[in-house]
Amino acid sequence: MKLVGLLFALGLALVANPSSAETLSVDLRPAAANAASPQMGDRLSFRTTIRNDGTAAVHGLIAWISLVQLDKGKEQPVDLEDWSAHKAVTAASLAPGQILETDWPMRLIQAGTYRVVVSAVSRGSAGLVVSPFADFTVRQKPVVESQRVLPVALGLPLLIAVAMLWRRRRR
Amino acid sequence: MSAARLIARKEAGELLLSLRGLSWLMAVAVALSVFGLLLVSNTELSLLDNAQVVYDMVAIVTALGGLLALVVGLDAVAGERERGSLVALLLTPASRDAILSGKLGGIAVAWAVMYALALPYLWAVGSTGQNLREAVTILAVLGSPVVLGFGFFGMALGARLATARTALLTGLIGLMISASPLLLGPSLRQSAIGRAFDVINPISAAVNAYDGVIIDSQPVLGQWPHALLAAAWLVLALWLARSGFRRVAR
Repeated sequence: MKLVGLLFALGLALVANPSSAETLSVDLRPAAANAASPQMGDRLSFRTTIRNDGTAAVHGLIAWISLVQLDKGKEQPVDLEDWSAHKAVTAASLAPGQILETDWPMRLIQAGTYRVVVSAVSRGSAGLVVSPFADFTVRQKPVVESQRVLPVALGLPLLIAVAMLWRRRRR
Repeated sequence: MSAARLIARKEAGELLLSLRGLSWLMAVAVALSVFGLLLVSNTELSLLDNAQVVYDMVAIVTALGGLLALVVGLDAVAGERERGSLVALLLTPASRDAILSGKLGGIAVAWAVMYALALPYLWAVGSTGQNLREAVTILAVLGSPVVLGFGFFGMALGARLATARTALLTGLIGLMISASPLLLGPSLRQSAIGRAFDVINPISAAVNAYDGVIIDSQPVLGQWPHALLAAAWLVLALWLARSGFRRVAR
C-alpha cells in the first residue's frame, strides 16, 4: 500500500513538473561595459546563458525579458516598448548540454530602481524557469532644462513688448 | 518694385511694425512661453517625454501658425474692406492677380516670422536633442503648406462672406475642427470616423507626420503621403482664395 502511494506521488510530481522545465537553467549577468551609475539616456546590456542540463532535447524554447520598477509607491511592471526592441528570443530546439547565449540591450528611459529578470519556457514544460535578478538604479537627468527654457520663455515676450513700446513711442 | 512685392512688403510691415501685428506675435510668444514654463515645472518627465514635448511644441506651433495665418488672411480682405481701404487698393493700376499675390506673400511672411519665433522654443525644450533637427525640418515641410493653406482659406472666407466677424467665426470653427486631432486621444482617432477624418484633414496629416518623425524616428522623406495631402490642401485653399478674391474684384 505504501509502495502504491509512493508511486502515485511520484506520478503526480512528474505531471506537475515535466522534465524539460527542470532541465533548463537560465543565468543572467550585466554586461561588463555597463556604466556603474547609469543615468537616463544611457544604454545597458544584460547577457543570459540558457543551458539544457537534461539528457533530452528541449523543443520550442521561448525566453523573454521582464523589467519591474521597485521604487516605493511606484512598484509596477515596465512596458518595454520604449526601452528595448529586443524583448524575446526563441529556439526551435536545444540539445542536451547545448547553451543559448543572448544579449538584451536596453535604453534607460526613466529614473528609478529597477529589476530585470529573464524567464524561459519550452513547449513541453508546464513550469517556468527564471533567471537570477539583476537590479540597477537609473539616475535622473533633466529632460527639460530650466536654464534653456527660462531665458527663451521670458526673453522673447519681453523683446516683443519692448518693440511694441518702441512703436507706441514713435507714433 | 512690382505691385505684388510692394503689397507683400506692406503686409509684412504691418505684422512686424504695427502695434496690431506685434500684439499677435506677442500672443503667440506668450502661448509658447506658458507651454515651456509648464514643462519646466514638471519633474516627472521621462526621456521619452522629451520627444513628446518637442512633438507637442511642433503641433502647438502648427495650430497657432494656422490661427495667425487665418487671421492675417481674413484681415487682408475682410479687414481692409471694413476699414474702407480695399476699394482704394482695387482702384489702383495693379492687376487683381498682383494684389492677390501680394496678399498671399504677406501671409507667407507672417508664417516665416512665426516659424522663426518658434525655433528658440523648440531648441529650449528639445534639450536631449532627440530628433530636434528632424522636428525643425518636418515643421517646415509639413507645417508650411498646412499653415499657409489656412491663411489662403481665411482670404477666401474674407472675400466670400459679408462681414469680417462672420468670416472670422466660420474660419475659427473650421480651424478648431481641423485641429481636433491635437485634443483627441489616439483611441478616438482609431475609430472608423476618426480614420476617415484623418484621410482628408490637413492638420491630421501634419500631426501624423510629426508623430512618425519625432517620436518614432522615421525618415522625413517617408512622410510623402502626408505631404501630398498637405499640398492638396494648399492648392485647394489657393484656388478658393483666388476665386473668392476675383468675386470681390468684380
